[in-house]
Amino acid sequence: MFEYQMVNDGIKMTVHLKGDMDIEITEVMEEELIPALQKAQEVELNFAAVSFVDSTGIGLLMNLVQHLKEREILVKITHLSEDIYEVFDLLQIPDIIGRDVFSS
Amino acid sequence: MLKREINLARNIQTKLLNAEIPKLVACELTGTSIPARLIGGDYFDFYPLVDGRIRMVIGDVMGKGIPAAMLMILTRGAFRSAAQSTGGPGDTLTAMNKALYKDFRALRSFVTLLCADWDPKQGTLTFANAGHPLPILLGGNQVSELPKVSGVMLGGLPNQIYEEKQVRIAPNQYVLFYTDGIIEAQNQAGEQFTRERLKKILLENEGKSVQQLEQAVVQSVYQFSNGMNQKDDITMVLLRI
Repeated sequence: MFEYQMVNDGIKMTVHLKGDMDIEITEVMEEELIPALQKAQEVELNFAAVSFVDSTGIGLLMNLVQHLKEREILVKITHLSEDIYEVFDLLQIPDIIGRDVFSS
Repeated sequence: MLKREINLARNIQTKLLNAEIPKLVACELTGTSIPARLIGGDYFDFYPLVDGRIRMVIGDVMGKGIPAAMLMILTRGAFRSAAQSTGGPGDTLTAMNKALYKDFRALRSFVTLLCADWDPKQGTLTFANAGHPLPILLGGNQVSELPKVSGVMLGGLPNQIYEEKQVRIAPNQYVLFYTDGIIEAQNQAGEQFTRERLKKILLENEGKSVQQLEQAVVQSVYQFSNGMNQKDDITMVLLRI
């Protein structure tokens, strides 16, 4: 089960992600989140309530971040659990999408 | 009509994926892949080299189903081509990334791969990693992961050099190569199978043939998931010296 909530404070769009990120979120990422965020100036992807990300979820996240960066939108991933960061690190995701995307 | 074409695609993939397992002297080798859907995106392959080494690869293409299967076949072609023209597993991954990078970026996808050379004369396993879970070594009532070697998944970044590490494998030891579909298989409570359960099953079945051990892992994952539909393919390769 995956859901998200978007909060716009006028400058930054914060997306609170919740649940598992796997193949089930393909349509949500590609058809809802990418179109909804491409006019933002700044995006925070809050992972506080994300418990699991598999390889497909990582690929979809990479696509989202790269899509936003290509549009020069500042993007940050926050509140990532240690377990998930360990997987990201194994895959060297910070090297691919930029270490600047991850904030503690 | 569509169903027939899907079945034909499945047959092609099954034939290509279930590569002929090389007959090895004084050791055992097996591999299996169980797709979560009709068609899978996991991949394993073996390539016998002229000097007697066996180059093996296991991989997980991002995504599932037909799109992942198409990319898996692209990956297989790149491995077969690179395996015969490169000296070691690190060079194989470098050549594969070079061949696949642009296509994978254009398609916004990637593949994780672990590539290893088993040298029966030296008793060594040399391996390189493109973002894949590390193989597990079983023997003497102990399990451990092979030494950490990291590298970016294929399609992640251009012009990558992949580091190699080497371990000596003693008689009666096993090496399990696997994809994360095994350790991330879920039960009805949403719990994962985990690497710890996998290690426990390996320990409990030490001494069996690679086929029996493979079957024990598959059965254990099925029992654990207890009818839950799995989201990811389950793939493993087992080598026993």
